[in-house]
Amino acid sequence: MKKKAVIGRNLSLGYQKGDLKKEVLEKLNFELFSGQLTCLLGPNGVGKSTLVKAILGEIQPWKGSIQLSGKDVHEYSNSDLAKTLSVVLTEPVSPGNMTVGQLVALGRIPHTGWSGKLSMQDKEVVKKALADTKISYLEHERLSEISDGQRQKAMIARALAQNGQIMILDEPTAHLDLINRYEIMHLLREICQKQEKAILVVTHDLEIAMETADQFWLLTCGLPLISGIPEELVLTGEINQLLPGDKFHFDPEKGRIEKKIGSRKWKIEGDPISSFWVEKAMDKSGVPPVSEVIYVEKSPFSLQYKGILYSSLSDFLSFLLA
Amino acid sequence: MSCIFMNNSMKNNRSVTFIFGAFAFLVCCFLMNVSLGSVNIPVSEIIHGFFTGEWGKASYEQIILYYRLPKAILAILAGIGLSISGLQMQTFFRNPLAGPYVLGISSGAGLGVAILILASSAFGLGLGIAISPWATVISGTLGAALVLVIVSLVAWRIKDSMTLLIVGLMFGSAVSAIISVLSYFSGAEALKLFTVWSMGSLGGLVWNQILVLGLVIIVGMVPMVISIKSYNAMLLGESYAKSMGINPTQLRWLMILSTGLLAGSVTAFCGPIAFIGIAVPHVARMIWKTADHRILFPASALMGGILLLICDAIGQLPGSAQTLPINAVTSLIGAPIVISLVLRKNFSKEF
Repeated sequence: MKKKAVIGRNLSLGYQKGDLKKEVLEKLNFELFSGQLTCLLGPNGVGKSTLVKAILGEIQPWKGSIQLSGKDVHEYSNSDLAKTLSVVLTEPVSPGNMTVGQLVALGRIPHTGWSGKLSMQDKEVVKKALADTKISYLEHERLSEISDGQRQKAMIARALAQNGQIMILDEPTAHLDLINRYEIMHLLREICQKQEKAILVVTHDLEIAMETADQFWLLTCGLPLISGIPEELVLTGEINQLLPGDKFHFDPEKGRIEKKIGSRKWKIEGDPISSFWVEKAMDKSGVPPVSEVIYVEKSPFSLQYKGILYSSLSDFLSFLLA
Repeated sequence: MSCIFMNNSMKNNRSVTFIFGAFAFLVCCFLMNVSLGSVNIPVSEIIHGFFTGEWGKASYEQIILYYRLPKAILAILAGIGLSISGLQMQTFFRNPLAGPYVLGISSGAGLGVAILILASSAFGLGLGIAISPWATVISGTLGAALVLVIVSLVAWRIKDSMTLLIVGLMFGSAVSAIISVLSYFSGAEALKLFTVWSMGSLGGLVWNQILVLGLVIIVGMVPMVISIKSYNAMLLGESYAKSMGINPTQLRWLMILSTGLLAGSVTAFCGPIAFIGIAVPHVARMIWKTADHRILFPASALMGGILLLICDAIGQLPGSAQTLPINAVTSLIGAPIVISLVLRKNFSKEF
């Protein structure tokens, strides 16, 4: 049985402005486990940030409770909360004059005395956080001179140095390139497994999350929070809650979101992978249905239609659309 | 000692060396400032006089002990007070152009002095020209405190620090408008007196006043020193600071208290002195190349003292009996510094 790091019970959250009360989320129940990477997915504006703020203790729930390691979040003092929970937020940080090492050292703030002087032990923790995120080589670089992906890893290292049991990351992979997205999510997975931390990641990258997360929390308008193992949510089809309307769906065969292709308009025969991509391209270009069969050859790639041979897909498409 | 240095990284070592260097330079500037003026007194003569109490000429003793020494010490104190409050404001508001006066402190002090000088003339209370330096200081302090209390009451209600910045600036403008109205209705003599005050002056203070200012500056530094870690956390913004256990609301009150004491008292004693508070923290960041407030705090204090001593020495127009108002000199030197900072390509990135 995994240890429950965060427990939310019957939670209602919202904002109040004057007499106007706006309820954002109601009757949420969730559990965040130690040693597991949990991804929170949901459309913009559904209240993901509100939920994160509530877990950080920044807003008081209207109803229900949030417990961190068995104690209500509002019973924590500021500094105790900082020792339990660390964050990576979406807001940009830009103290360019600071080195990566100094940034990570800021994570030790809840643990140091009034002047913030680092003890030998603090320095060890900083070194380890840099090593765990694989950016030890950046220690003396300035924040203004490193890439976005490196800066995001430095922010994760800072959160790690804070040494809490729980880490919450709000869209840590936004604005990053594909490789960095994968690297950062795998890094987080490695950290939570090796160090038994409970990590909650708010993300929109369904495919990468599918590959790395142990748990999914799906938040959709007007429905209770759905949680479960990602693969199970695919099998039950609940994953499609993320894709309202019937234009798109999650294709269980390919593990990705796709536009629903209605009835097949074309007869394509040959290598299945090649056929798939040919059909996709034809669909995107809006090729009208044709009666004859299209034959696809894999290597060397060629297409045969009405007895004419095409060596590239673009030639074929321009012929059909001409 | 060697043990401590071995624990510190090379970079830390460099910063500490720079601090000592800056301190030595401050001493040099101090001696130069005291030596230069309408009558040039050799540095050797000054050092000899300090340590033995015997002066080459009786006039030297008068000039040094009762005129130039208080002025030089006042320059250092004012430089420290303004730079430290500027540093706090810039970090708290995360705005490179924030300075000690953004919460309306200088306008408040100006209002106090304006009421003393201008209103008394406008309403014919007859105080007129016979105003003692203590009266100026007290009215300036009261004015600065009044504006600060009002801004604090507003700060109580607002959560966003950017809103506080705007409210502070607006209060400053409103108070300046009141001063304009007072100026419009007052006599030529009083107007001249107030204009001279608003140009700032380091001279004319007696030892007792220097002592009081020194004490207030020391007290005003305490809130900054105890929250030095919080200022480092604030470099990442309010939300991150909060997540690291810092209480931004408490820090805001400490900042208002500290800058109120520092900038408020300096303005009350010397009049508003422009640019030092904005420019010096940037100069310190540029020279020390760090964002760590444990370094920036002493560095800004030292650079503030040095810069104001130099400005004052220039303002004395060595060799002539004339002096320029200190505010004009600091603006002439400070404006090019701020302009060159803003023109640097990655200025906002490095802040």
